[in-house]
Amino acid sequence: MEISKEIYRVLADIVGDGYISDDPVVCEGYRSGPGGYESGLGYERVMTKVPGCVIMPKYTEEVQKIVKVCYRHEIPYVPYSTGFYGPRSHPHVKGALLIDLKRMNDFVLDEKHFYVEVGPGMVYSPIQEECMKHGAYVVIGGGGAQASAIANLIGDGWSPLSHRIGLPHRRILGTEVVMPDGEILRLGSLAQGGDDPFWGESPGPDLRGLLRGYTGLRGCLGIVTRMAIKTLPFQPERLVPTGISPNTALALPEKRIKWINFVVPSKDAQVKAMKEIGHAEIAGAVTKVPLFWRAIAKAECKEEFWDLWGKENEQTVANFHIVRVLLIGYTSEEQMEYDERVLMDIMTEVGGVARRTKPSDESWIKNADSAGMWLMCGGYVSVDYVIETMTQAPEHGPAYAELKKKYTPPLMPDYGDPGWFQSFEMGHQGYSEFLVYWDQDDDTNPVDQFYVDTSKMNIKNRFYTSLLGPHQPLYLTGPKYGPNYHEFLLKVKNEFDPKWMSHPPVPLAHDVFVERAPWMHNMKDWESPKDLDKIKD
Amino acid sequence: MANESDVRYYKPRTEFALDIKDIQNFVYDMSRCIKCKGCNWVDHTYMPGAKFMTRCPSAEKYQFDAYGAYGKMRIGHAFAEGRLEWNEKALEIIYACTLCGACDVGCKRNLDLEIELSLESLRVKAVKDGVGPMPAHKKIAENIAKTHNMYAAPHDKRKDWLPAGITPARKADVLYFVGCAASYTNKEIAQSVAKILKAAKVDFMLMPDEQCCGNTLFSVGMLDEAKALAQRNIDEVRKSGAKTLLTACAEGYRMWKVDYPKLLNISTADLGFKVVHLVEYVDELMKDGALKMSKAFATRMAYQDACSMSRLSDPWTPYQGKRGWMGCVEPRLKRRRGTSGLYAQPRDILKAIPGVNLLEMPRTRENAFCCGAGRGTKEAFPDLAKFSAAHRLEEIKDSGAETLVTACPHCKNNFAQAIKAGNEHVQVMDIAEVICASIES
Amino acid sequence: MDVKQKLSQVVGADAFFDDPATLQAYSGDFSDTPRRAPNYVVKPKNAEEISGVIKFCNENCIPVVPCSSKVHFYGATIPKEGGVVMDMEKMNKVLEIDHDNRRVRFEAGVTWEKLTQELKKEGFRVIMPLTPPAQRSALTDFLEREEPTNQVYDYGEPLAAMEVVWPTGEIFRMGSASVNGYPDSPSKGGNPSGPGLDFYRFFQCAQGTMGVVTWTNLKIEAIPRIDKIMLAPITDLAYATDFLYRILPRRIGQEVLLLNNVDLAAILAEQPGDFEKLKSSLPPWTLILVISGLKRRPEEKIAYEQNFLNQVIKNEFSNMRLGESLPGFPGLNSKLLKILRNPWPADVPYWKNSVKGACQTLSFHTRPLKAKHFVSLVEEIASRHAYSVRDIGIYIQPIEHNRACRPEFSFFYDPQNAEEKAAVRRLYKEAAIALINEGAVFTRPYGELAPIVYERATGYVTQLRRLKKVFDPNNIMNPGNLCF
Repeated sequence: MEISKEIYRVLADIVGDGYISDDPVVCEGYRSGPGGYESGLGYERVMTKVPGCVIMPKYTEEVQKIVKVCYRHEIPYVPYSTGFYGPRSHPHVKGALLIDLKRMNDFVLDEKHFYVEVGPGMVYSPIQEECMKHGAYVVIGGGGAQASAIANLIGDGWSPLSHRIGLPHRRILGTEVVMPDGEILRLGSLAQGGDDPFWGESPGPDLRGLLRGYTGLRGCLGIVTRMAIKTLPFQPERLVPTGISPNTALALPEKRIKWINFVVPSKDAQVKAMKEIGHAEIAGAVTKVPLFWRAIAKAECKEEFWDLWGKENEQTVANFHIVRVLLIGYTSEEQMEYDERVLMDIMTEVGGVARRTKPSDESWIKNADSAGMWLMCGGYVSVDYVIETMTQAPEHGPAYAELKKKYTPPLMPDYGDPGWFQSFEMGHQGYSEFLVYWDQDDDTNPVDQFYVDTSKMNIKNRFYTSLLGPHQPLYLTGPKYGPNYHEFLLKVKNEFDPKWMSHPPVPLAHDVFVERAPWMHNMKDWESPKDLDKIKD
Repeated sequence: MANESDVRYYKPRTEFALDIKDIQNFVYDMSRCIKCKGCNWVDHTYMPGAKFMTRCPSAEKYQFDAYGAYGKMRIGHAFAEGRLEWNEKALEIIYACTLCGACDVGCKRNLDLEIELSLESLRVKAVKDGVGPMPAHKKIAENIAKTHNMYAAPHDKRKDWLPAGITPARKADVLYFVGCAASYTNKEIAQSVAKILKAAKVDFMLMPDEQCCGNTLFSVGMLDEAKALAQRNIDEVRKSGAKTLLTACAEGYRMWKVDYPKLLNISTADLGFKVVHLVEYVDELMKDGALKMSKAFATRMAYQDACSMSRLSDPWTPYQGKRGWMGCVEPRLKRRRGTSGLYAQPRDILKAIPGVNLLEMPRTRENAFCCGAGRGTKEAFPDLAKFSAAHRLEEIKDSGAETLVTACPHCKNNFAQAIKAGNEHVQVMDIAEVICASIES
Repeated sequence: MDVKQKLSQVVGADAFFDDPATLQAYSGDFSDTPRRAPNYVVKPKNAEEISGVIKFCNENCIPVVPCSSKVHFYGATIPKEGGVVMDMEKMNKVLEIDHDNRRVRFEAGVTWEKLTQELKKEGFRVIMPLTPPAQRSALTDFLEREEPTNQVYDYGEPLAAMEVVWPTGEIFRMGSASVNGYPDSPSKGGNPSGPGLDFYRFFQCAQGTMGVVTWTNLKIEAIPRIDKIMLAPITDLAYATDFLYRILPRRIGQEVLLLNNVDLAAILAEQPGDFEKLKSSLPPWTLILVISGLKRRPEEKIAYEQNFLNQVIKNEFSNMRLGESLPGFPGLNSKLLKILRNPWPADVPYWKNSVKGACQTLSFHTRPLKAKHFVSLVEEIASRHAYSVRDIGIYIQPIEHNRACRPEFSFFYDPQNAEEKAAVRRLYKEAAIALINEGAVFTRPYGELAPIVYERATGYVTQLRRLKKVFDPNNIMNPGNLCF
């Protein structure tokens, strides 16, 4: 339904005239693409719409009132924290109300009990700075330091620092959610009344399960308006910012934090080193990133990146075996010395050689420079990012690299780079991430096809994957995982959002995209209901 | 794997220039914004905490995405492609912006998109389309046309600031370009500059007939008028034989160093003279021993990095080239990322003054928050100027400073008004005044 | 169809029971919950049989009560509305021990005893709660979020991917075990999360109301090479709390816990009379802290932790008498280590029941800062109910680097003494209400606690019931528990 003048007035009365607009120019400012994460692709072109109206609430009560108005009048709405996540976090239907949550940026830190309490407008780098001032730290997710911490924690939420800290789901403490119909759900220690969010578990079955799956739901099951996030104890020394943008970094207090890069002789040695580090229960991060990241880090501009990258070939990529380890003296300098001795023992065993490593951190601890990954082109997506085990992780990337050959070009030449993998939760888990780049002015239809093909590859190879839920056609992945997780997900969606007003048609948006995009039709070899496309546009 | 040569650079290259006269030159940049909002947040490495997180006055005040560069790029793109109609809101979005360059250096940390030029070009388009600039800007343009200054003050009073006992040279290597503000509303700055130069035994001359630098005209998109002034002023300096053009106004500094060359399609190096701000000049004099900061000034001090002499002041080089696959350009382009801003010099000067406890504000150098006054903002959007200054003042107070030092008369005046309005216990001084006080016996 | 005939058909006649003696065995437990026998008991061998039973029960609206342990303390497996008790004792296999990924996969009926023994053979251990009874299901304790005594691992929850049977009978694998063909897959089940939703969360503290878990993956750790158990007598709880606030964020220690003299005496007592003797001679509180040398350079690991502790104690906590022995109790350290690392033996009466025959426990989560106040509050209420303050067992488990803690109060009573039993019941209820009113967080609301907690969480209850309806439309899974 369109937002009539009467409804607009009701909404304006909730937030004040200065915080709502249906001006076409203001709404254009909220367009998803054409640049950005996964933008410029078919999904963005076919599925996203400029909102019909934008509203900026400040308080949970305002969000609740807005959602209730929307539900009463059947106005589709989309929660929006920073807009960084690309088309999937933008309206998919005409005339939707975009609920911009940036004003909800409260911040409270409890130093003694290791948590911060934030609104969805609060991004990561301020949180990390405040935490570090008080001896704590958080994982700034791969989404970047500019990501909304809440959006990231109910969507993705990991980085190399997850070697020790682990799954993001476990850091979600007391949380407040405006459900799709406008009812409030308080989770964790907030559930019993009172206003203390320090504890994450609620009485009985844990409804934090509704906040996300392994990856996120993109706002189709309500709006998180407040969350306490568990932090972890860090080391006490200050990490001093240095340099002038763009060459800024944190100078590391070397007796308490240092990165060491090791070159190891083979992939087996690489994997063994990571596993042994986990078994030895040392280090703050253990990772192997794609080789082209090194070129990104070295290059001063995109042209230089291509110069550097152009010197590589399948051989050099295949022979690139690096293990990057972050040591942190959580307990004391002596503990870090212990970690280093153990690390060197392991590296001696696997034949690893330490390389000179800068005593600074440009990424991950505070900056988590996801945005910097765009430097060399205009299109980028992490096509998959998986937390499984160190058994799956090293196998996962090469399978992608193989499939990718079929779609290069338009994907950038990467000489078979198998992506990124690392240890998670002290080696109990392994992480793999595969990234693809393309020029968005090219014919990108094959990128759309590659995306769906990766799902098929994961299904065939029996890999766990992030490409589930709203990230792929639900009827493609649904029968193959669980099995039939899609049926349960849709039952839950129908129960909590019977009118499908919260970000329609997610979680079926990718299914709808495949139906609507002619170039995707030859990819479709799975069954789905015939009336998918009846969802209003 | 496909053969490399089949993959790379197969796309026809498109020609473009860094020329703000044509918005089409910036469609690439406007269409590549990824909403990382690096234009809005303080560089994450320097992020000071849960307070003072942002760097864009416009986005901070108006909040809607449309007012941040991420929104403006989308809006600009739509205008460039003819998908959007001008309306009042569009003009507000485009002009309620200090063009402070915070977004530009933020973007160039990650993406190297030409945000500042896109914004300038969008204003040029607004003027061309007959909808811009704002009425207040048109009034300034009229003033300049009639009286050669933005205030409509009598032109013949332009040199009235000259203090007794100081006579400019008829001929000197240094030409001090005073600017409208220091000539009329902030004479104390010009007077301090003259005294400093005298103390350092530096002869300086003035333009025989100094006129406005054209900052507002250029900034609001009135390129023809701005270009005429640029040409006229450059010709005057060249005629004078000066080797150094000295200014104590940040906006004037940027005009001379960056935007005149931009308007005339020449390099800064081709001006034929060197453009320096007072802080550069004094810093050198100090280091050469020609000036000594001797008189103590016991105060907790904070320094406001004026946008036009920091992140906006990298020299200009015209560029014309081709853009190919993945947006790579040929010939190579040295991007202007604000790295050659005058960050160290003012700090070195202030730290040399006995008794000064120079405190850094959380947002500093290329991450500084603009005072909100510059580039035609205060005249057309006084509320935004007031908001920005008040917002920055909170940070100044938070840092514990009791004296705020600026290096631009527009900053000084805007802060002074905010301090008065808020009844704050902070004094604001131009750096010329501070230097002058320290060297005067 | 005849229930007996159908269920016998599904699980086999030898795994179906309806004789009164068997049924009675499931009618009560160590809790105060009113006794009630099921109508049938089945002992399925695999997920397919479970699915068959549940499908039939769902179609016929027959309650199903999953029961994995042989020892129960909370009344959760007593069938409140009759129906079928599904005893998981035949699903007692440790399916995989994966050294590389430090992961074990085991069925719901695997006991603590079996799990720890199997792992020990291969050099591994699980981080475990304090003295889990040997015959309890390890999976149940993790699902019910019993707090481990070891809190040094930042990852917190050790449960990984599991398989369940939904209340409508579908077999469903969660997390990374959801891939086709699992376990014959590169995906090993290391991630509990997803697919689509975090379904695993719905099974936590669900008391069998959301379906039946058939097996799970769980993180395991290498058995330390060296352990050094350290003990400190504590008289001032606040002082100990401050000490823990100081050291635990620095990731010191493996097992760390505080026990009062009553609980520690009950745990240590071996002979009749020991309990009273120990209770009167032990300090009011004992801090137990184990530092361990792991797989590599174990002595050096012990050394840096010890050096850190020495510095902190010397400079900041000079009254903290942390040593390898508790004055007056020689040999206590090695005895305690064995207790901390093993389930409570099946052939020894459980310590909580050995004091007076039965025990009512009350546990919750709070900030450590508030623990002392809550102890005083409970003591005050106990004295109002003529329960001697000196007889309350208290165990405080620091959690997550001491950002939280779980106090557990044990009220020992004679189950044959109706008056005493009733008094403890009143005391328990009043204490629970007082605690919750002051912000104590109860996440495992068993029995009488459920209405107390849920009446304060009405918004949560509303949404929880909606969710339950999605998965269990006929409310067959263990009805009468929680808010269902």
